Amino acid sequence: MQPPRPSVTAIVVSHDGARWLKETLQGVLRQSRPLDRLVGVDNGSRDGSAALLTEAFGANSVLTMPRSTGFGEAVAAVLERLPHTGGEEWIWLLHDDCAPDRHALEALLWAAAGDREAVILGPKIRDWLDRRTLLEVGVTVDRSGRRDTALEPREYDQGQHDGVHEVLSVSTAGMLVRRDVWERLGGLDPELPLFRDDLDLCWRATAAGHKVLCVTAAVAWHAEAAARRRRRMAVSDTHPRRLDRRNAMFVVMANLPFRSMLWSVVRNLFVSLLRTLLLLLAKQPANALDEVVAFGGVLSSPRRLLKARKARKQGRKQGYPKVKALFTPPGMALRRLTDMVQGYLSGAGPIDSAGRHHAVISEPSGEDDGDELLTDAGLMQRVFGNPGVLLCLGLLAVTIAAERSLLYGGLLGGGALVPVVGGASDLWQFYTSGYHAAGLGSGGWAPPYVAVLAALSTIFLGKTWLAVSVLLLGCVPLAGLSAYIATRSMISHPLARVWLAASYALLPVATGAVAAGRLGTAVVFVLLPAYAALAARVITGERRRARRAAWALGLLLAVGTAFAPLVYVLVAVLGGLAAVSFGGVRRGVGASLGIAMAVPIVLLAPWLAQLAADPGRILLEAGLHRPELVDSRLPPEALLLLSPGGPGVPPVWVTGGLFAAALAALLFRRHQMVVVVGWGVTVFGVLVATVAARVPVGDAPAWPGVPLAFAATGLIVAAALTGHRVIELHRAGGLRRVGAALMVLVACASPVLVAGLWIKDGVDGPLRRGVPSVITDFVAAASRQGEGTIVLRSGADGLLTFTVLRGRTPLIGETELPVPDALRRRLSDLVAGVISGRGGDDAVALASYGVRFVAVPGPVDAKVRRSLDADPALTRVNLSPNGGLWRMVAPLGRVYLQGKDGGRTPVPYTEPAGGGIAVTVPPGEPGRTLVLAEPAGGWTATAGGSSPAARTIDGWAQGFEPPAAGGRVTIEYGASWHRIWLWAQLAIVVLVLVLASPGARGAEITEEYAEPVAAERELQEVPAR
Amino acid sequence: MRLLIENRFGFLALVLVVLAAMFGVAFATRQGVAPAPVPAPARVAVESVSTVCPDPGGARVTAVTPPGGKGEGTATVAEVGGKPSAASRLEGPGVPWQRDVPARVGPVEVAGAGAMAAGLEAAQTSRRLGGDARGLAGVRCAEPGAVAWFVGPGPAAADVRLFLTNADDAETIVEILVYAGEGPVVNDSGSSLVLKPGEHRTVRLRDLAPSPLVMAVEVRTISGRVAAAARAVLPKGKGTDWLPAAAEPATTVVVPGIPGGGGLRELYVTAPGEADTVVHVKALTADGFYAMKNRESLEVPAGSTASLDLSTGIGGQPAAIVLTADVPIVAGAMTTGTGSRPDVAFSAGAPAIDVGSVVADNRAGKKLSSRLILSAPGAAAKVRVQALPRKGAAPAPVEVEIPAARTKEIKLAPPGGGDFSVMVQPLAGSGPVYGGRVLDESTPEGLLITAQPLALARTWAIVPPVEETSDVVLPAAR
Repeated sequence: MQPPRPSVTAIVVSHDGARWLKETLQGVLRQSRPLDRLVGVDNGSRDGSAALLTEAFGANSVLTMPRSTGFGEAVAAVLERLPHTGGEEWIWLLHDDCAPDRHALEALLWAAAGDREAVILGPKIRDWLDRRTLLEVGVTVDRSGRRDTALEPREYDQGQHDGVHEVLSVSTAGMLVRRDVWERLGGLDPELPLFRDDLDLCWRATAAGHKVLCVTAAVAWHAEAAARRRRRMAVSDTHPRRLDRRNAMFVVMANLPFRSMLWSVVRNLFVSLLRTLLLLLAKQPANALDEVVAFGGVLSSPRRLLKARKARKQGRKQGYPKVKALFTPPGMALRRLTDMVQGYLSGAGPIDSAGRHHAVISEPSGEDDGDELLTDAGLMQRVFGNPGVLLCLGLLAVTIAAERSLLYGGLLGGGALVPVVGGASDLWQFYTSGYHAAGLGSGGWAPPYVAVLAALSTIFLGKTWLAVSVLLLGCVPLAGLSAYIATRSMISHPLARVWLAASYALLPVATGAVAAGRLGTAVVFVLLPAYAALAARVITGERRRARRAAWALGLLLAVGTAFAPLVYVLVAVLGGLAAVSFGGVRRGVGASLGIAMAVPIVLLAPWLAQLAADPGRILLEAGLHRPELVDSRLPPEALLLLSPGGPGVPPVWVTGGLFAAALAALLFRRHQMVVVVGWGVTVFGVLVATVAARVPVGDAPAWPGVPLAFAATGLIVAAALTGHRVIELHRAGGLRRVGAALMVLVACASPVLVAGLWIKDGVDGPLRRGVPSVITDFVAAASRQGEGTIVLRSGADGLLTFTVLRGRTPLIGETELPVPDALRRRLSDLVAGVISGRGGDDAVALASYGVRFVAVPGPVDAKVRRSLDADPALTRVNLSPNGGLWRMVAPLGRVYLQGKDGGRTPVPYTEPAGGGIAVTVPPGEPGRTLVLAEPAGGWTATAGGSSPAARTIDGWAQGFEPPAAGGRVTIEYGASWHRIWLWAQLAIVVLVLVLASPGARGAEITEEYAEPVAAERELQEVPAR
Repeated sequence: MRLLIENRFGFLALVLVVLAAMFGVAFATRQGVAPAPVPAPARVAVESVSTVCPDPGGARVTAVTPPGGKGEGTATVAEVGGKPSAASRLEGPGVPWQRDVPARVGPVEVAGAGAMAAGLEAAQTSRRLGGDARGLAGVRCAEPGAVAWFVGPGPAAADVRLFLTNADDAETIVEILVYAGEGPVVNDSGSSLVLKPGEHRTVRLRDLAPSPLVMAVEVRTISGRVAAAARAVLPKGKGTDWLPAAAEPATTVVVPGIPGGGGLRELYVTAPGEADTVVHVKALTADGFYAMKNRESLEVPAGSTASLDLSTGIGGQPAAIVLTADVPIVAGAMTTGTGSRPDVAFSAGAPAIDVGSVVADNRAGKKLSSRLILSAPGAAAKVRVQALPRKGAAPAPVEVEIPAARTKEIKLAPPGGGDFSVMVQPLAGSGPVYGGRVLDESTPEGLLITAQPLALARTWAIVPPVEETSDVVLPAAR
């Protein structure tokens, strides 16, 4: 027997929706399965919606409600007045901006007939404007209330989601619900006048043992007018975003069983905070506020929540497993994270759109997404199909093969790199402390690159060695990646970009920097392509983007400058030239360039001032400056062929191919301007490199790696720009094809040769693993209070070199603290006196510098050993082929008392956690001096409320006049300015970061809403019933 | 300009011209930077000297600071651990201080500071005509140090005692190693001992190693410094003398100061390392180098001491022995006097006296004679010899030329005789000079003899160039 035909009542709720309503009504009236009853509800529209409804449904079938009525209330009001038919009765809910397809109802009813448990059914919802775009095929949430459509942004409907699925919820737009179930469940919750009311209803239905189906054979087009703020909402003044977020959390918390709910509260708190932070970063403070207010709103009205929970008590726990199965699958979060990172990298804000009501929120982004990254494929395929990733993997393989001797083992160090010891906290402490009890002691500014390394180490779980290894050993693949990404907008052909990135990453500068442990050059080498890309954007970009790029360039330039100050000079000169040439042409370019150039100056101010006092150091970089690492007579052809000399550099001729390719590129006419600029950069870079390689700083000239890398950037870009011309030549065939092949061969020769030679020779020093520590464990254990150790080494040429360490291998950067020349000379004389064996009290004087040990790493020179053995003030602790150690017979420590007669006695002292040094002075006669074996100046002492007079002892040390009665004296270094500056620096960094990061689009929605006048959907009058 | 840039060949030409110009600039400045030369080591006057005379009881102690020091300074003689008295203060530079020390006095420390430190030298000489310890025995008072080597007869051939003194303020741990003819002596009684500040101790080597006929003793400290000396007393009154401290192991060793005349001459060579070696032995006499027949070389097993009789080889000439080996060796020599009751004297490997040498205690008289035996194994040498008599004005210095590869004996006889000190100073342009001083006294029973290789004077110290740099945290780059 044929089951009785169910009766279907369509309820169209309108509210200021006249612009869509006409089409919606047509859709309703033209259903292939005619409706049994039609009811319109108008919530106080002011745009004539009511008239349209009346026109379509007839005056009797239209209900008018006040403006503030919610969707649920409106439906409830209709149902109150609507008599039961007796048989199976369905209600079809429609928004005024939701036009159903002609066969929608038929499909829905067919699905309902197929599954008796299905009580709520929804159509596939597509975008109103772009009719192929999918909006919803059922919606689910995760436990933090994040809405999930399981669709890609702007996913086209190609039938890929078709079928009848059980889902957690469907939208009220087009929802077909059985009337008895609706009434049993109590309908839509009036507490949720907008957003998530559908989720709540469906959740309750599912929990009650019913099914919610999405029927894709039924289609509706939805404008989502309220959520997209295309109409004002009268039901609430709250921003839709805030409302949506609040309702989402409310629904989740009301419907979850108790335990899960508690967990959900914690989770929501965390997620909300994170999202707020991200939104702040994205420069969307209003949205961040919404997020906070939404969460607060849920928690601040517990009674409302309790009431809602009470209403949903029945069957909540029993039905939960069924609901749970319909939640967002767990892997989704990971996928979303990768999408977010990817989106951020491609210039979108750091917060994705999936948490909003709609998948379609981001407008099509500009030209830079014309990348292969956008093809929608699996993550793996997306990653490994990308030539950039493949290039990176290739470079990584080359690097691992070449650096086989450096991959594991003991301390990494050698060349310019001091052995990498300590963790992130040590580096932070070093950077933030006002006085550095390292070496001879210094109140100078720590080099700012220490902060960069400390931050990186923190990311690498506190492991400085890992951060340094990645930066230094991984500089080749990193540089390749950065060059590949940076040229995205400059060079269109991916193969040309791959060539460019490989040629850049495998420059002799890179292999030389790795071999000699030049961390500074390695970092700048990775950053240079980014500078080029950002500078290009500053000059050519749209104003907002240009300004953002300028801040980013400033920040990255500050990082590079901290590692190798010369890069600032190079970029600043070019920036000045660019400002002169483009400043008049494009508005704001001059100011943007000014910002980019000013940020490093401001950020590094005090350290730069320190640097300016010794201008030669501008040519140097992070790490040690050792003559044996530099070719002091660098041949001119090496300079022209971008070979910086020194250890680990391939033969000069390997870059010949690159050079030839760049010269050949001059013969092509395309991109003439950029090629000229590229060559200009090259010439400038080589000139600066010549200066750097010829001007001595200390004993030897600087290593011209940074300017040569700079020159290479220009050269390679100039050559790569003609890449597609070569391909055109190739296509032309004949002799031209041969020529093209020849050019490609010549151009590719350089990176291939460098890689081959690098792998063949490996990296054989001076950078190596397993550098022996000059400070033995014994010394470290015996000088816990910062006593000094003289480390002495005899060179092959008879020169003895030494330095003072404080019971540990110096941290990275500590060796670059400024040491006053006078102090250095004085100490050199004392050490020379001890080593000469002339007797005398040189060793005793050394003790007054806080020195406790003299360590001589092996092999110990016989003369040195004899002299140290012969000194009565020193006694040998041990001597072996690994080295010798002598200790002071009468060490003084860092603090001692000097009597009137010059006699010195050590005084016990402690270093309290708050900083400073606490000394307990024994009582004694007046006229004594309490001496702190640190350079004088900047120290203050307090003794029981009074501050003892300070004076300089022995021409360098800090002395105080302690009270005769003795007592506790606290000595502190005045570093308040230092602290203030550090906070200021942090504030500037945060500010620049925020200004540089991609933020909100200019306006929320800028596209003008165009009324679609589609020819095929002709108006067709359907007689009102 | 614009035309030039827009023309493809024009721009190429422009680039090439610019590149050529840059090449030119780089080429022209190529010689620009020369590494700064390492400054030459400087000489400074020694500021403080401390020496310890090991067993002055019953002996005569002489101390002298040669003239030439600038400024103030004092030098004192005092028993280790005691306070110097007014009488024990040296008068001034160039005037030897001399005292006969009563018996049962412990080691004395001769210490100088400031101007009185530069070249301060002290020696103790004892002269006995009877008893077991009959003979003339002199020793240069030693500076405390970490290592001392003594090479000579073993406990089976003589009673050898070590005199160890710690004159410092820190405790010293001393280790004694014996290299006998059969190899290193390992004894389980433990050969290390602890000396407290101011403590001195005498060690009978027979207790450590009773059997060796020949041996080398290495006294080294594990921590602190020690002043070490060794005395050998031959049995049956066949003489006694102190073993001079030998130069530390080296592949070339010169044992200078072998006196002429009759009697036994015996060479001791030790190879303390891990490898056996063959030592090439050459004598350097007044006639030049010559390899002694059947005594051209000496095999020394690793860690052991070997001896070689050179009596007939040298043939009674004053000589120096030049030894070369492919591993570091230590060497010493024994000289026996003539007569019915002979005496012995010892020499040992010594350094070239680049900065000069001072011998504190020399005597001249009717039966006493002091001689310098100077050898120049390399280039010709020229030295100035200055006697510093205890009384009266110093005579004019004598300049002595030693031809290349020759040994020369110089008799020291200041007018008026008596006790005197002598200063030997190589002159500018001189080749390396090695030397020894021989002091003998003829008695009816035989010749009493003692010898002392010339040691480097403590006048000057070489100050190496020193530079403060952080590079030391890393090993030197290759």
